[in-house]
Amino acid sequence: MTADGAASSQAAAIFKRRPGLVAWLVLAPLLAWLILFVIVPTIMLVLLSLGEQKGLGTVHFTFTLKNYVRALDWTWLKVLVISVGYALVTTGICMVIGFPAAYFIGRSSEPLRNVLLTLVMIPFWTSFLIRTYAWITILSKEGVLNALLVSARIIPEPIGILYTPFAAVLGLVYNFLPFMILPIYTSVERLDSAVIEAAYDLGAGPLRAFSQVIIPLTQPGIVAGALLVFVPSIAMFAITNLMGGGDPPTIGDVIYKQFTSGRNQPFGAALGCLLLLIFFLSLWITRRQRAE
Amino acid sequence: MAVAATTTSPKRSSVPRKYGPMQVERWVFGLWTALVFAFLYIPILLLIVFSFNSSRLNIRWEGFSLKWYAALLENHALLTAFQNSLIVAAVTTILATLLGTMGAWMLYRYRFPFQRTIGFLIFIPMLIPEVLMGASLLAEFVHLLKLPLGYTTLIIAHTTFCFPFVLVGIQARLQGLDPFLEEAALDLGATPVQAFRLIIVPYLTPAIVAGALMSFTLSLDEYIVSVFTTGPQSQTLPLKVYGMAKVGLNPQLNALSTIFVIATVVLVLLSELLAHRKSS
Amino acid sequence: MKEVARHVVLPFFAVLAFFGCEKTPAPPSASPPATPSPAAANLASPATSPAGESTGDAEKTLHIFCWSEYIPQQIVEAFSEESGLKVSVETYSSNEEMLAKLFAGGGNYDIIQPSEYVIEGLIKEGLLTPIDHARIPNMKNLAPEFTNMSFDPGNKYSVPYMAGTVGIVVNSELVQDDIKGYNDVFQEKFAKNIVVLDDAREIVSWGLESLGIPVNEVSDENLAKVKPVLEKWLPLVRVFDSDSPKTALLNGDVALGIVWAGEGAILLNEDQKFKWIVPADGAHLFVDSLAIPKSAKHVQNAELFINYVLRPNVSAKISEAFPYLNPNVAARELLTPAQRNNPASFPTADQLANMQTFKDVGEQATKIDELVTSLKAQ
Repeated sequence: MTADGAASSQAAAIFKRRPGLVAWLVLAPLLAWLILFVIVPTIMLVLLSLGEQKGLGTVHFTFTLKNYVRALDWTWLKVLVISVGYALVTTGICMVIGFPAAYFIGRSSEPLRNVLLTLVMIPFWTSFLIRTYAWITILSKEGVLNALLVSARIIPEPIGILYTPFAAVLGLVYNFLPFMILPIYTSVERLDSAVIEAAYDLGAGPLRAFSQVIIPLTQPGIVAGALLVFVPSIAMFAITNLMGGGDPPTIGDVIYKQFTSGRNQPFGAALGCLLLLIFFLSLWITRRQRAE
Repeated sequence: MAVAATTTSPKRSSVPRKYGPMQVERWVFGLWTALVFAFLYIPILLLIVFSFNSSRLNIRWEGFSLKWYAALLENHALLTAFQNSLIVAAVTTILATLLGTMGAWMLYRYRFPFQRTIGFLIFIPMLIPEVLMGASLLAEFVHLLKLPLGYTTLIIAHTTFCFPFVLVGIQARLQGLDPFLEEAALDLGATPVQAFRLIIVPYLTPAIVAGALMSFTLSLDEYIVSVFTTGPQSQTLPLKVYGMAKVGLNPQLNALSTIFVIATVVLVLLSELLAHRKSS
Repeated sequence: MKEVARHVVLPFFAVLAFFGCEKTPAPPSASPPATPSPAAANLASPATSPAGESTGDAEKTLHIFCWSEYIPQQIVEAFSEESGLKVSVETYSSNEEMLAKLFAGGGNYDIIQPSEYVIEGLIKEGLLTPIDHARIPNMKNLAPEFTNMSFDPGNKYSVPYMAGTVGIVVNSELVQDDIKGYNDVFQEKFAKNIVVLDDAREIVSWGLESLGIPVNEVSDENLAKVKPVLEKWLPLVRVFDSDSPKTALLNGDVALGIVWAGEGAILLNEDQKFKWIVPADGAHLFVDSLAIPKSAKHVQNAELFINYVLRPNVSAKISEAFPYLNPNVAARELLTPAQRNNPASFPTADQLANMQTFKDVGEQATKIDELVTSLKAQ
């Protein structure tokens, strides 16, 4: 009962073939899109990071490295570390909260399964700002939550929940939870009841059944969910600003400010490229370690 | 008990038990899921309640009123923006789902040059701060491609932003695929295209659906990238909404969201119940 | 395939059809149709249009690029109806966002709405079209102090739209102290009970003012002088918010703050417990104006619109929606006494005389941003 994901991808590796004509016809537009709208803009970004901004918005491409030299300062790196920290905490909490829900939805039968899945997403089809302001109304000192806690005598007087890192993480978890639940769901959905039952039949308690059978089997979904929460949340700043009070600053906010009051777009681009670089290095190292 | 093929999943236990671990599991996780849904919907309930609030600022309840709904029906600018958002999101979802699914499949099944680099590159739109993506795409659209800003550029930008999410989701599902399945189909005489259509796609459906849901959600609420890549006629809802915070968010937005949420919930319930009724 | 269709595509398009077909009659490619609402009809009455207005360009369109919500929708619709022009409105939420798109050259904007220091820069770089005063007779409605401002003498390139200051708001139920200036705000006893604007330039200017240094002298020397002041101030702040600082005050999460005048005016209108104080150390005035970019294609239509906005009744309607400092004296007379007496909207003459306006500080902007970011991250 090992993770048959590993066995499957090993087998798949054997079966990987060179693309035939039809495959190339499909591959071509995909590659074209990648080149045109991912690679080219990134190259333009790198070029921008090597420039200098003069005046209101004109950038001179002077091919200087001074933006990167400036970026490698603890002021900015500290902000980056804080942002990654927030992202990690958010991902961890989403995993813990989201897995059981994804498990339940994935193991439900139709039509409940599809209804629940869509219901997970529907709250996020409202505008981000009104959702967040609704949370602010709930969490503020004169808001619903404090009112409840005070009237239930749990706390003597309203506490400042908002504009703290706690509130920022709450906002982040709230907005990213569906992106953890959905990928885990896709892995849970293909679980065979027979396998799980067999685990219980053979005497495994729920803890062992999960840790040794279910979680390894759903590992691809969990990893995907972690990626889909961790990666985008690093540069996310609207939530931390609105619910966390903007203090401490995050890397997304700092870069955005370079395009506004900071008047230094090339520096913002340099910070962004640095972020990409650090990320790819980490990804590359992790993949090499896993291959060993 | 033999382990069945991974594409079919029998949901009923062969030995019916009333309080066995499977049932306990169901109850415990069901309760947890209910709590998660409560967490997800609390702010939604609040904003629905405030859509009937007679006061303009969403802070205190001051009385019941339907005036925001009436005002909403007259607010053509807001409704047009919402309509634009839906259209852009719909097209983006279709494109992103196609790109993501085919991309994931190509990376999984075939060997071609720069494959590993591509596996890295797809993370860029997810990781890159939106202002950088917006600015670079704007520069490319205007200076390199000479495209006029409008629906096309907006949809291209949104699709680029969304397809990695679909791709990663599909990749996860592919990891559980039994590769011998496709081999078997090919052995029995199917062409690769047929095998893909009849074996792989049904297997991938939950991931495709999940990816489509994620794309739609991401596109609907995308602000910063839209700022840079939209034209004057294709203003989407977030673009209209984001300045409203200055004078206090207009409760017409609450009314709009209320109508949309209730409409989609009802539609989803209806379509599932009808489909279930037909098949059973 | 069929499953995908059933679960995704059908509900999808059902939703689209529901929303797409029902409400808006016009196809999405058209700009918002200018259907007159009862209020707009008021504004469009030909009786109030003064003689001598030109007929505009041959092409009957106008592209406005402005701050979100700063130009009320009903005004746009009324203008569109009266002039027969098709008006499209694109919005931004910061000057630099506007500049980014302007410089990218993608949009063709006929009207932009920059703040004073941006106008200075745009004029210097020759990016604005001079305004033909002959076609804008309503400029006579402007208060004299707004006709010859330092960033655009003689209003050659811009017409002031709304102005305002940044000042102190105090929740008198939570704070009984007499707050007169910046140092009164940043006291230990108000730790984590303060909201300020999330604007590095603003924050530094308050520090400079508390030290008696003019706000535009942001040399490295002066920044070094301001740093210890800000080091003391910033840890006391609970919320940094430039978009809606009034929220934290209204919710009772903070007791006082330094916010835009418009926010202050809204707070004062909302509840008597809020008090507005113009800092004794000095304050600065910001002016948002309408201007025509060099790349505009419909200059005469733009001038028509500017003239329209300067009509007293139109301008008064704008004040109603946005209680900022209205530079239009004729409009001020149409306001209610309550609106005119709102101290946040209309500072006294002495206070006005004491105010500086921001000038473009070039590359020091970067240093200011770095200073505040590093202090925030501590």
